[in-house]
Amino acid sequence: MSDEKLDLPQGTLDLLILKAVSLGPMHGWAISERIRDVSRATLQIPQGSLYPALHRLERRGWITAEWGASDNNRRAKYYQLTRSGRSQLQAEADAWRSLTAAVSLVLDMG
Amino acid sequence: MPNWLNDVLSEIRYRFRAVFRKRAVENDLDDELRFHIEQEAKKLEATGLPSHEANRQARIAFGGVERIKDDTRDVNGVSWLEILVQDLRYAARGLRARPAFTASVILTLGLGIGANVAMFGIVDRLLIRAPAHLRDPSRVHRIYLTSVSDGRDVTDAFTEYARYLDFARFTKTLDATAVLASNQFAVGVGEDAKEMPIGIVSASFWSFFDAKPALGRYFTASEDSIPTGSPVAVLSYAFWQARYGGSPDILGKSLQIGPALCTIIGVAAGGFAGIPDDGVPAAFIPATLYGYGVSSARGSIDYYNTYHWGWLSVLVRRKPDVSLEATNADLTNAYRLSWEAERAISSNTTPVEVARPRAVAGPVVFERGPNATPVARLALWIAGVATIVLLIACANVANLLLARALFRRREIALRLALGASRRRLFAQLLTESLLLGTLGGVAGVAAAQWGGAILRSLFLTDVATAGVVRDVRTLVFAGAAALVAGLLTGVVPSLQAGRAALAPALKTGAREGTYQRSRTRTLLLVLQSAMSVLLLVGAGLFVRSLHNVRSMRLGYDVDPVLYVELNLRGLRLPIDQRAELARRLVDAARSIPEVQSAARGISVPFWSTESLGFIVPGVDSLRRIGRFTVQMASADYFTAVGTRILKGRAFTDADRADGPLVAVVSQGMADAVWPGKNAIGQCIKIDRPADPCRMVVGVAENIHQNSLTENQKLQYYLPSDQMRPNEANVFIRTRGDASAHAETVRRALQKVMPGASYVSVMPMREIIDPRQRSWQIGATMFLVFGALALLLAAIGLYSVIAYGVAQRTQEIGVRIALGAGATDVMRLVLGQGLRFAVVGIVIGGAAAWSASRWVGPLLFSVSPKDPVIYGTVALALLAAALLASAIPAVRAARVDPNVALRSE
Repeated sequence: MSDEKLDLPQGTLDLLILKAVSLGPMHGWAISERIRDVSRATLQIPQGSLYPALHRLERRGWITAEWGASDNNRRAKYYQLTRSGRSQLQAEADAWRSLTAAVSLVLDMG
Repeated sequence: MPNWLNDVLSEIRYRFRAVFRKRAVENDLDDELRFHIEQEAKKLEATGLPSHEANRQARIAFGGVERIKDDTRDVNGVSWLEILVQDLRYAARGLRARPAFTASVILTLGLGIGANVAMFGIVDRLLIRAPAHLRDPSRVHRIYLTSVSDGRDVTDAFTEYARYLDFARFTKTLDATAVLASNQFAVGVGEDAKEMPIGIVSASFWSFFDAKPALGRYFTASEDSIPTGSPVAVLSYAFWQARYGGSPDILGKSLQIGPALCTIIGVAAGGFAGIPDDGVPAAFIPATLYGYGVSSARGSIDYYNTYHWGWLSVLVRRKPDVSLEATNADLTNAYRLSWEAERAISSNTTPVEVARPRAVAGPVVFERGPNATPVARLALWIAGVATIVLLIACANVANLLLARALFRRREIALRLALGASRRRLFAQLLTESLLLGTLGGVAGVAAAQWGGAILRSLFLTDVATAGVVRDVRTLVFAGAAALVAGLLTGVVPSLQAGRAALAPALKTGAREGTYQRSRTRTLLLVLQSAMSVLLLVGAGLFVRSLHNVRSMRLGYDVDPVLYVELNLRGLRLPIDQRAELARRLVDAARSIPEVQSAARGISVPFWSTESLGFIVPGVDSLRRIGRFTVQMASADYFTAVGTRILKGRAFTDADRADGPLVAVVSQGMADAVWPGKNAIGQCIKIDRPADPCRMVVGVAENIHQNSLTENQKLQYYLPSDQMRPNEANVFIRTRGDASAHAETVRRALQKVMPGASYVSVMPMREIIDPRQRSWQIGATMFLVFGALALLLAAIGLYSVIAYGVAQRTQEIGVRIALGAGATDVMRLVLGQGLRFAVVGIVIGGAAAWSASRWVGPLLFSVSPKDPVIYGTVALALLAAALLASAIPAVRAARVDPNVALRSE
């Protein structure tokens, strides 16, 4: 467990999950691994919130779940982005970019 | 799919799984989390840890599995679906715990909903739905013809075959035209012969429908060609099943239909009834075959090129791009051309300028057109009445629920105090009443299915096709009615319960302080009695109408008279033999002991009318006076049917073919043709001015020929032997009720008939009764529903007053202790019940009074404001109120002050 681990700001977890799933069907463990790897272990998703979040997104209809066989032939639940999930991802990503851009502008002033 | 819809669907799918597949969802979650931990462990193992250590670390890293599962489950939340299921279970448990209450509510709602479901089915069939299998119903019409006669517009849907040909020939806006008619015929021979409705249609008729024959084929234009047509028949599916057991090898077999021996060429599609004006036909025959049969029996086959025999309706289909207005203009134009054509061959036809013939493309179903009988309008009224009955039923149930809500005040207050939200409580109580509504709906459908058969037979001619359970439209209506009933009964009590003040309800005992007059309940009671008054006034009006129409003098007697029709069945008799046959029948009838008198005559009121072109020397405006009808009658005719001779004499046996030519005219005709003069001794001529004079020898009373509401004033009589003696049928007057002797007479007369020919004997009552049907239906239905309403209102009043007395036991005890006598107490309670009744009478009476303008046209010589009826209804309601409050009043008077006060 590295010390550079950051707490996720409110609402970003959904964005990260949507993004991860947008790359292809993925099970819960793979999603958390993928996010950790890509963020160079800076972003670590608390296991306690991953599954509630996945189920919440499924309920909203942004992702769908399907049972399939994993690499080592075990039964695993694969999540996949839906069409409305894709537009949601687009919207949230845009909002995030403009927010961070705005925040940097403010931080860089003076 | 729009996003929001997608969201909603996904939500619903997810919720359904969460509620109904709880176990599966739990297992899935377990599997999912276990898989995660195993993956994590595998990763750790890859770094060199022993497997049990990897497992342990993975588990620690993951955190509390149960907590995560809880959090995940929370995402599901408690869904509305789960709440609904929970509320339904709770409501069902509550209803099961009170079987008497539940049963009475379901019965009450079931009666109310059942009445409405049954009436909807009838109104739908009479007024809304298109005939089964009809293609493009919006473009298909029946032609209605209007012309001026007797100075006013007369509209009729029936016309001549020649006119049908004219419409086909002279119009440009139509896709197709067809002949539509029906008649009763004896089907089969010997013992099997049975009178059944037969559809008489042109070959083009079949093209109006999308219905493939179940067997064989329909007839073609070459089998329906002028003049003779071909003796072929298409059976209805039901008749095929009933008579032949659905046997496929009936094609090519023969079936005697009336006078024609027809070859069976096909069976119509199942459920196909054409456009059934007079019952579902057993079979269909070509129009030309029928026209040929009837006109050849009359001696001249001219049905297709003359205009004196109207028997058919014209069915048309507009071209797709033609407006209704354009079609109507086209039809009127064609009718004028046809009128001119008629005038060209029959010079005494009224000129076009005077008759102003007009034609419109109207509704296919006769009962929806301008000539509809009052039955259709009456059905709407009865449907309205059924709605009122349902409202009364709902008011009763609402009252019961209110009373129950009072008993449940503490339970409800407790639940509120424990933190149940008022909205939640409201939803829960409403669920209960919706459940009651649904159960009532099921009971209603059952009631409509079994009890409604009686209603349907009153209103509908094609009963065979009716039914509730298999009819989707009616079932949808039943569902809607149940929902509305549930809401109506539930909303007010649920709102009131939710509004209850907490503290006092919790504090007090069940008895103390709970008696309070509920304004809502009072209002419901008053409404109930007002609506009962409304319905009972309607019942009174219709019963009086029925009585009046039954006892009205028609210009002939009904009950003692039999009409005997000769059916020769293709037997071709020379004119003099046919005339002799009728004479022999009269003689045979006279020898039957039960028969008082018998005579010959041709036409029957309400069934057929005859008219002849005739001339009165010195009167040239005869046609402008109106349409004259004629009866060819033998001696004794007037005695036999009971038409009174007012002046001069009736016909005698001396008025033979070779005797002096004579006539009898009606009083109305005498007044119209020879105003201010003595009609006796005047001269009328038939057909041509060169014809000899027929001298008027008598004046008879006016008769009701075609309508119960209007006299046919212009009627005259010629001696049977002097005009068409070969067309005579027989009228018989029996001692006492004629229908009792019909079979005796039929057997006796049948012996006279040669070969396969036969007589049908019809009591006059059976001919007149259908004309009085609307008043009979009105009286029956209003009485039944009115009584139902009164019963419901009385039960409602009883339950409220009894409840009030139970709640006021203490107060009454105090009154008695202070010296009030039993009569004072009874007066107190009875007065309460009577007050409701009086207010109800005033309101209901006012409502009935203001509705009288609309109900007036449906009545028969009774004022819709008849004071006797209003008075009787008021008394009935007062009596019901007295009865309903008498039991609680007696109970109140028996209150023992000791017991009542000690219980405090």
